[in-house]
Amino acid sequence: MKIAVMSCIHGNYEALNAVLSDIDDHNVDKIYCLGDLVGYGPHPNAVVEMIRALDIPTCQGCWDEDIVEGLNACECSYPSVLAEKRGKLAHEWTNQVIYPEVRQYLAQLPLSLRDDNLCFVHGSPHNQHEYLLPEVDAFVAMERVLTTGADILFCGHTHVPYVRSLDASQMQIRVKLADKSEQETSFSAPLKRIVNAGSVGEPRHGRPNATYVIYDANTDQITLREVEYDYEKTCAAIIEKGLPPIFAWRLARGMEFAERADDPTHVCER
Amino acid sequence: MPSLNITLVSGPPGAGKTTWIRQQVNSAAETAVYLNLGSGNTPIDSTYLATEVAGLTVLPVEQLTDFLAQPLVGSAVYVELGFHIDLTSLILPDQMADCQRVTVLPPATRQTEWRNWADLVVTGVKTGMALSQPHLWRSVLSGQVLDLASLNTFWYELTHGAYGTVQRAKGIFDVADGRSLYFDFVAGLAETTYLELNLPLWCNGRPDRFSGIEVVGEALDQEAIAETIKACCLEDHVIAYYQQQIKDSLEPGDEVA
Repeated sequence: MKIAVMSCIHGNYEALNAVLSDIDDHNVDKIYCLGDLVGYGPHPNAVVEMIRALDIPTCQGCWDEDIVEGLNACECSYPSVLAEKRGKLAHEWTNQVIYPEVRQYLAQLPLSLRDDNLCFVHGSPHNQHEYLLPEVDAFVAMERVLTTGADILFCGHTHVPYVRSLDASQMQIRVKLADKSEQETSFSAPLKRIVNAGSVGEPRHGRPNATYVIYDANTDQITLREVEYDYEKTCAAIIEKGLPPIFAWRLARGMEFAERADDPTHVCER
Repeated sequence: MPSLNITLVSGPPGAGKTTWIRQQVNSAAETAVYLNLGSGNTPIDSTYLATEVAGLTVLPVEQLTDFLAQPLVGSAVYVELGFHIDLTSLILPDQMADCQRVTVLPPATRQTEWRNWADLVVTGVKTGMALSQPHLWRSVLSGQVLDLASLNTFWYELTHGAYGTVQRAKGIFDVADGRSLYFDFVAGLAETTYLELNLPLWCNGRPDRFSGIEVVGEALDQEAIAETIKACCLEDHVIAYYQQQIKDSLEPGDEVA
């Protein structure tokens, strides 16, 4: 089986179309989406309608949740006052233009999806707002994968694609008992992986191109895909729709609309 | 009337006028006086030199007449002229007529108006851009306290063309942790980080000292620049929160304002 996994489309319809086209060229059996269909970008309704029309299994992203539940961010959502103000502008705009049926669809999205030994989440299994950055502590990373029971955890949210193998993991626990003796237990974890799909519509890797991943279960091969698209069309739509022009400037440079927290030790408290 | 050792310094934005003056002051044994003509109500260079150069007296423009009447004998006087000042129509007090005229120019430039005016041409730094019609935008920010992460984002955007073509940008900003920071950008030069000015941490209300920004460029979206800076500024209760943290972390001997 060959699957494509994409995430963080953020209302960028042009990027979504380009990625779907690229997926078509690779004969995949199934597509999964890790959420954040809306927010920042100019075409939130069109993106959701496309995902629904193609019946793509999708889990709920943090932006999808915010549009349903309202803003209630942990500090990790906004690393600066400026990012927070821009994020709120984008939220308010999206909140105004979103169709009721789109909001309903976002509300019923699951927080995670499973397919055999694969698990799909937006941020982390704990929270769709939590960032699993590539440099996050190995113990934390392993704990997040083990908690799902899967061998490969697919996530998004950071907007930077990566594959992280957690092999030869050993944990030692020393417990002090009531009689003051100590009991030591060791665990060995089999190979686990975290695969971040990057972002279709709001890249943060320094180029405007969309990213997603293909996983071939038969060969156990993971391929990070980077797809060029007409990002200037999205930039023009951002300005035309009345979103802040700085979003277009940042998108064209692969800088994301508002930067995310850089602290890999932060545990989301939302 | 004692004779004065006055040097007028001109040149295009970012060529290195202030840096050259700083080098002269640092290498001389005598004390020095600095005056900036053209900085208006945004004395960025004056504030920077006053805090960073020992033995330098910064003279406000409005005190020039009094100073010339009773100058500091034995001091070298450096008068920096903003790039936008028309040198041909510059009228100086009689006491300054005998001064030396220095122009600081990027290598291989042919700005004849500066060359023709100067007694001495100093080769400054090579800037990456020469604008046909440079526009100057300034804003006083005194009393404002900025979130540093936001300021870094704004500064990156500003100096990478998000708000128009920028040839030169400099600013002094008070930030949440009480420091006053000097930011300096010249197109074509290596990116630099900010410099912490040698001023006490400000931890009692809104800072009562100068901060501000100056940008030279073309097609500048002034409204967007101003709005973005405003979005970086902190509200009173947030400032108070950070200042309490500063006070709680002070060590004996720390200088605060």
